[in-house]
Amino acid sequence: MRETPTETVRFQAYRGSEPPRFVNGAERECARILDWYGIPWEYEPRSFVLERDAQGRVTSAFTPDFYLPEQDLYIEVTVMKQSLVTRKNRKLREVRRLYPDVKVKLFYRRDIERLAQRYRLRIAS
Amino acid sequence: MTSAERLRADGHPIGEVYLGRDEIAARVAELGRELSDAYAGRMPVLVAPLKSSAVFLADLSRAFGVDHELDVIELAPYGSGRTGGGVRLLKDLDRPLAGRDVLLVEDVVDTGLTLGFLTRCFAERGPASLAAVTLLDRPYRRLVDEIPLRHVGFTVPDELFAGYGLGLDERWRALPDLHVVVADELPAAIDAA
Repeated sequence: MRETPTETVRFQAYRGSEPPRFVNGAERECARILDWYGIPWEYEPRSFVLERDAQGRVTSAFTPDFYLPEQDLYIEVTVMKQSLVTRKNRKLREVRRLYPDVKVKLFYRRDIERLAQRYRLRIAS
Repeated sequence: MTSAERLRADGHPIGEVYLGRDEIAARVAELGRELSDAYAGRMPVLVAPLKSSAVFLADLSRAFGVDHELDVIELAPYGSGRTGGGVRLLKDLDRPLAGRDVLLVEDVVDTGLTLGFLTRCFAERGPASLAAVTLLDRPYRRLVDEIPLRHVGFTVPDELFAGYGLGLDERWRALPDLHVVVADELPAAIDAA
């Protein structure tokens, strides 16, 4: 279930047109960190088609959570345990194969937790 | 009993030594020689963000064979201040940077967000050159690549560290070696529902 976009007004570096509706706390924390450092970001601005059926309908797609326009970089945040992200990794490999010029980084739950720990506990980054 | 052993005995999550003081000292001496070659004939200013870089700055300054100036800055910690605020300088530099050779001294570079901010901030002040040195580089989660990181002490794994100036929540900075922190024993960081 997506969150209601109550925090939109607080995001200074958000560059999207629609208010972001985060799926989980890890996405929200990631947005806060980007915003703190003034890194422009968008939320789910683009879906990458991975597969179509015989009629041309999309049967598989991948929508990264964040896009950083200044870095031309997509970020996918997952809260699944690292051992359970095989399907997501497979999609990511497909994106890289079909869209070789697109840069995507996958942030696992552990990555976001580490970042949040570092920033909240005031360890230099 | 060492200070780390005392902390462990008191229940602090201080793990094994990752880099001993002698190994750090040897690498800092090498960095000093690298920098002496790079800045020969110039008078750079070393700029370090407080507080984690303080110990590294002190050692690096003494290993640096070229006359230089020191300055420090302090950044507002993440999440502090009024709602909607962002990163900013709580303490700015004491002197202008225009025409100066500036070397940013970092303890750790991870996402590159902090170094990216400082680079943008100081580039606007017209320095002759702007480069960075870090004791530890953790490049796995790099988000900002446009950073002038020219000199790296150690590339380290994805662990939390304490000691040699690095601390968590103001603790453990004075440990002379760099220790791994047992992250599982830290408070939960986010609501990952």
